[in-house]
Amino acid sequence: MPITLIVNGEERATQAAPMTPLLDVLREEFFLTGAKAVCREGFCGACTVHADGIARMSCLMPVGLAQGCAITTVEAIAADGVLSPLQQALEDHDVVQCGMCFPGMVMSLTKFLEQNAHPSRDEMKTALAGNICRCTGYERIIDAVLALTNAPQAAE
Amino acid sequence: MAHADNLYIAASVADAVAVLADRAGTATPLAGATWVMRAPLRREPLAHSYVAISQIEALQRIDISEDEAVIGSCVTHARLAEALAGRGDLAALATAAAKSANPAVRQAATVGGNLCTADFAAADLVPALLCLDAAVELEGPGGLQRLPLQEFLSLRHALPVGSLLCRIVVPRSAARSAHARLPLRKAGDYPVAIASLSIEQDDKGIVTRAAVAVGSVEPVARRWPSLETALVGRPLNTAWIGVQAERLAEEFTGRDGIEAPGWYRVKVLPTLVRRAVEALSAQTA
Ligand SMILES: Cc1cc2nc3c(=O)[nH]c(=O)nc-3n(C[C@H](O)[C@H](O)[C@H](O)COP(=O)(O)OP(=O)(O)OC[C@H]3O[C@@H](n4cnc5c(N)ncnc54)[C@H](O)[C@@H]3O)c2cc1C
Ligand code: FES
Ligand code: FES
Repeated sequence: MPITLIVNGEERATQAAPMTPLLDVLREEFFLTGAKAVCREGFCGACTVHADGIARMSCLMPVGLAQGCAITTVEAIAADGVLSPLQQALEDHDVVQCGMCFPGMVMSLTKFLEQNAHPSRDEMKTALAGNICRCTGYERIIDAVLALTNAPQAAE
Repeated sequence: MAHADNLYIAASVADAVAVLADRAGTATPLAGATWVMRAPLRREPLAHSYVAISQIEALQRIDISEDEAVIGSCVTHARLAEALAGRGDLAALATAAAKSANPAVRQAATVGGNLCTADFAAADLVPALLCLDAAVELEGPGGLQRLPLQEFLSLRHALPVGSLLCRIVVPRSAARSAHARLPLRKAGDYPVAIASLSIEQDDKGIVTRAAVAVGSVEPVARRWPSLETALVGRPLNTAWIGVQAERLAEEFTGRDGIEAPGWYRVKVLPTLVRRAVEALSAQTA
């Protein structure tokens, strides 16, 4: 029996064994390589996707448990090729270095900012506890996000 | 990587128990999957097949009354933290659930998975629930069984085939509780040591009942009866309690692990006890 899921709005089916990590199906079968396979143990966050609206580590999610779920990957965040305000802020502040962690950062932060539109610096650090970046030292990421959330247009 | 190709998604507790019994010895429950999916990294084989229990509605419930909190085994850390926020007697458990792991893992990992993983010494929810005198309810081929948590911890390696942890029952009380943990980074890592406490005081501030539980120091979390006895009958004085914890800490034999050697876990324990007492005092302030 194939496993069916909605990936970035499209119904997809896979014949993968149900205990296969969702991450591997996304990358190797659907060629959605935005989510990165780095630690495969839930520590680094590079594989973060949204499953039914919740930020999850796709390396720890058996694809069999994603049956019928709506999965969003980083590829769907820049709708029609236009960067999201968060992605634009990261770009404008020249934050990205090697880039390995950023798909996961964007997925975690996109969800977090939906729930907390004006976070403090400390709240941001807590929210990023599951996203490891070896390059930036985090402060530049936080500066970019705070610039976005404190910008006049960010206050609805 | 090898993947088990057998995953049964159970619709009810009875369904799960029946399938586990039917596939005796070859099928294992699967809750949030955050421990099981890391089996290859621990060089452990995956089970022949899994029975997923995370979609069973009855195991998702949290019922909090004046007398007790009944928590379904598939409640995630994130939901538990949210449901318990602001309840002083259950604050140790709320903090344990809110501070463990990282946000995305807390959305998947369940309280049942935390209690059933016998090889996971750093589980946050275990000492928190021990200091709250929790009991667990198991269902299996032999029917329903209720056990004190400490007893369950010593039996969990060898539960009868087909057993499922279904509920955790936490008695409510007039106590206040707190949970202090020491990860090596500010967040995200496993805690090196954990102290959870629950304290009841009379109207003069004298401690009438004390429960202290220690996690991550030894392979299995346990209560600290000698420190509990020392606390009763006196006011809650952080410095004095810290001195007693220093004096009694040698009762623990720290486990060596990659994050920290055993002696270090024992060494930091009195500081964690002090921090937990400070957290209690901050709750009343
Ligand atoms: C990066 C990372 C960091 C973490 N940090 C922490 C931390 O700091 N503190 C902390 O407490 N936890 C932490 N965790 C979570 C912890 O390590 C376990 O992964 C988690 O507690 C397992 O829960 P689960 O629901 O995912 O269990 P699963 O992986 O689904 O199952 C684990 C085991 O329990 C059994 N099981 C599960 N539910 C039941 C049941 N109801 N009845 C019978 N058997 C059952 C399974 O058969 C399996 O053997 C962390 C996890 C990760 C990935
Ligand atoms: S690859 Fe999934 S958390 Fe690191
Ligand atoms: S930019 Fe290199 S890991 Fe974050």
